[in-house]
Amino acid sequence: MSQAPMPDFSSSVKLKYVKLGYQYLVNHFLSLLLIPVMAIIAVELLRMGPQEILNVWNSLHFDLVQVLCSSFFVIFISTVYFMSKPRTVYLVDYSCYKPPVMCRVPFSTFMEHSRLILKDSPKSVEFQMRILERSGLGEETCLPPAIHYIPPTPTMDEARSEAQMVIFTAMDDLFKKTGLMPKDVDILIVNCSLFSPTPSLSAMVINKYKLRSNIKSFNLSGMGCSAGLISVDLARDLLQVHPNSNAVIVSTEIITPNYYKGNERAMLLPNCLFRMGSAAILMSNRRSDRWRAKYKLCHLVRTHRGADDKSYYCVYEQEDKEGKIGINLSKDLMAIAGEALKANITTMGPLVLPASEQLLFLFSLIGRKIFNLKWKPYIPDFKLAFEHFCIHAGGRAVIDELQKNLQLSGEHVEASRMTLHRFGNTSSSSLWYELCYIESKGRMRRGDRVWQIAFGSGFKCNSAVWKCNRTIKTPKDGPWSDCIDRYPVFIPEVVKL
Amino acid sequence: MGRLQEEGSSPIHSFRLSTVSASRPTETGMTHEPTGLDLAMKLHYLKVVYIYSAQTARDLTVMHVKWPLFQLFEHIPWIVGRFRRHDSGRLFIKCNDCGTRFVESQCDLTLEEWLRVPDRSVDESLVYHQPVGPGLAYSPLIYIQMTRFKCGGLAFGLSWAHIMGDLFSLSHFFNLWSRTLAGEEIYWPKPSNLQKGCPNPTSTTDKEPGSIKQVDPVGDLWVVSNNRKMTTYSFNVKVNDIKSQLPANRNEFEILTGIIWKCIAKARGKSEPVAITIIRPDPNGLKHRAVRNTQMISSVHVDFSVVHANLDDILKAMVEATDETFLINELGERDEDFIVYGAKLTFVDMSEVDFYEAKVRETSPRSVYCNVQGIGDNGAVVVYPAAKKDERVVMVTLPEDEMEKVKGELEKCGLVKELSNGE
Repeated sequence: MSQAPMPDFSSSVKLKYVKLGYQYLVNHFLSLLLIPVMAIIAVELLRMGPQEILNVWNSLHFDLVQVLCSSFFVIFISTVYFMSKPRTVYLVDYSCYKPPVMCRVPFSTFMEHSRLILKDSPKSVEFQMRILERSGLGEETCLPPAIHYIPPTPTMDEARSEAQMVIFTAMDDLFKKTGLMPKDVDILIVNCSLFSPTPSLSAMVINKYKLRSNIKSFNLSGMGCSAGLISVDLARDLLQVHPNSNAVIVSTEIITPNYYKGNERAMLLPNCLFRMGSAAILMSNRRSDRWRAKYKLCHLVRTHRGADDKSYYCVYEQEDKEGKIGINLSKDLMAIAGEALKANITTMGPLVLPASEQLLFLFSLIGRKIFNLKWKPYIPDFKLAFEHFCIHAGGRAVIDELQKNLQLSGEHVEASRMTLHRFGNTSSSSLWYELCYIESKGRMRRGDRVWQIAFGSGFKCNSAVWKCNRTIKTPKDGPWSDCIDRYPVFIPEVVKL
Repeated sequence: MGRLQEEGSSPIHSFRLSTVSASRPTETGMTHEPTGLDLAMKLHYLKVVYIYSAQTARDLTVMHVKWPLFQLFEHIPWIVGRFRRHDSGRLFIKCNDCGTRFVESQCDLTLEEWLRVPDRSVDESLVYHQPVGPGLAYSPLIYIQMTRFKCGGLAFGLSWAHIMGDLFSLSHFFNLWSRTLAGEEIYWPKPSNLQKGCPNPTSTTDKEPGSIKQVDPVGDLWVVSNNRKMTTYSFNVKVNDIKSQLPANRNEFEILTGIIWKCIAKARGKSEPVAITIIRPDPNGLKHRAVRNTQMISSVHVDFSVVHANLDDILKAMVEATDETFLINELGERDEDFIVYGAKLTFVDMSEVDFYEAKVRETSPRSVYCNVQGIGDNGAVVVYPAAKKDERVVMVTLPEDEMEKVKGELEKCGLVKELSNGE
């Protein structure tokens, strides 16, 4: 994506004020139009004088039938409107898992283990070290207990035990925070891409918490890092159909069974970046939850680029030459992510952008397509539409790319970078850690709009727009509570190991 | 030794290695500079095993054991770092949170069966040991082995590089672990409050210290190369039995040293040792416990034949021991390769070490094993408290070919009640 089409005076102060004036004019067009209309009516009324006004009033005949019909008509229209309006879906609260200190993996430990496990492939060890140095991860990220062994012991038992540890802890915390009773859960959605045992993880949750037998449970697997927002979309759709209900979503990625044991370089990358994490979210369409809910779901846009072969194969799970299974990340990943984002914001833009930006975009489009002027495509300024951004912490490159494409400042992407530093790439739950970061910093105010962007294999780009329902006090507990004062930290380009 | 060894395959199996680090990241760039005394000790390793009964330790899981270690290492970050060399070649520790190796294992025997053997040198197999090097930057300084016995009993075997600290430090560290496990908040004094472990020059002699010997350069693999195969034997003695040997009111360690010196001298015959090294803790070090080397190393030299001498004369000579700690510290600064334990016949006094303070569920360990790895050809004797308050354990490490003769001498002088053959 590229620069603005206007001649490059953007550094000029004059243009800034022109832009501001233009935005104010277009975005408040209707209100501004109202002023002259009111002025004209006022002038007219004054001119007519009180006697004439009374005459006009008396000349209007109000028949009982007419009055009744009009009232019923108005009531009928209002009822139809309110019935067909989609139910507002709220995010009541959410909880992110904080791994225990015993799962901590400092860089030096990771590298030492790597040298011991891959002792026959020093080049692969060297490669892993270079990845780690530039990854943007910090020294406090966590791996599950099974991966701490030399060599790792990724048995099914260990995977289940990791799943129980991360999911149950997050859910216990959610139940405590919201006061929700397990038997009151109406809908349960669990998403975990790479671990899908029988019975499913959602069955595991139902078993542990003794949830109701008529619960509507769903288990989404294989949908990649964007599955968290897919679960939110599913919950929203279900909450349209079921009145007065709530939905619990559990987003996680179980690392244990997916540790790549081979030495193919493109497949070693996930070992360096993926870390333990999970989030449990409570959504509701009940009116009684309106007061205590943290956010309201405004929009959710899903874009799937799977029809394009290059996108489909760019994150591909396969066996290497020695038959070891791992996830192959293609070199075009960033370019494909950029394309997917472009497709997503093409749909998202009209829903969220103020009229001023949409008009500019329209003019630029007309100019390029119809008049064939050599303008670069106009990138709307999304900073006007949102106060906070949560970009999936897939890796440093993803955040850099999006920051560049959307022209965001360092503070906008701070939540994403700091989450990557503190927790690593926790896959579908990373968006929730980032949201928690913003809340922990005390930046979330009532009325603030948040844009969550997630990318996932397929290749998918999903966006969710939330509006903050009430100013959120800095949480006393939570994954950031013991370290938020140390953030933001400066993350060097290359960490010397 | 015992039927355990005769079986061929070890009863200890199913090793699983992992790493334990600090709970919080250490400040980037933090380093630790070893003193000369530390460097002089680099070829030696301390091995200690704490054995807990099934009743005490049955419910302790690996996570229960690892958690206090994480808390402790946050405050002692250099013991989980790795060695590097400055451009000058001088060794230092980079505090990079790399961690210690944690080894889990299983034992097919019950604790009763394991502890049946009076010669506790079998406990060696409960300590997973690897030397530091050849890749200094990737060698942990501590190995902790957690062995689960068939009945549920637990053994913790620590292999500890002597360059970090002495036996007092090791026992202090493990005591802190047990206190953290019990939920106690540990007070960590600021580093400036600790005395820098620099020993003061107590003697004015310029002689080369006798208790330390330079060895051929070992490079980055810190292993002592012995010319003779060494073996270990241990036995228990009652304090009262020792004290009854001499009417005078003497320290039981000194009496034991004198007796054993005589026995070994008799066994060695012509090449009887006329000089010994005594290593004991620094009384000041006891007040401010920390992880560092504070031991006092002194040398005793006699000009008479120990074989024919009176125990009293030997003890008198020991009183006149020369404290060589300062000289060793100076020598160590040269950063060459030395051995101290076994350079001369060495006697290590650990009678005051509080091993049994490492309580789990308020119960002391049932048995403690303590020895040194990397002892030179002249051998070493370590004396430390046994589980029973009035007993001491004597751990003797000598060349294999003279051990039988020494055992015979020990039996003759009544220290060892009877030599059991095989069992």
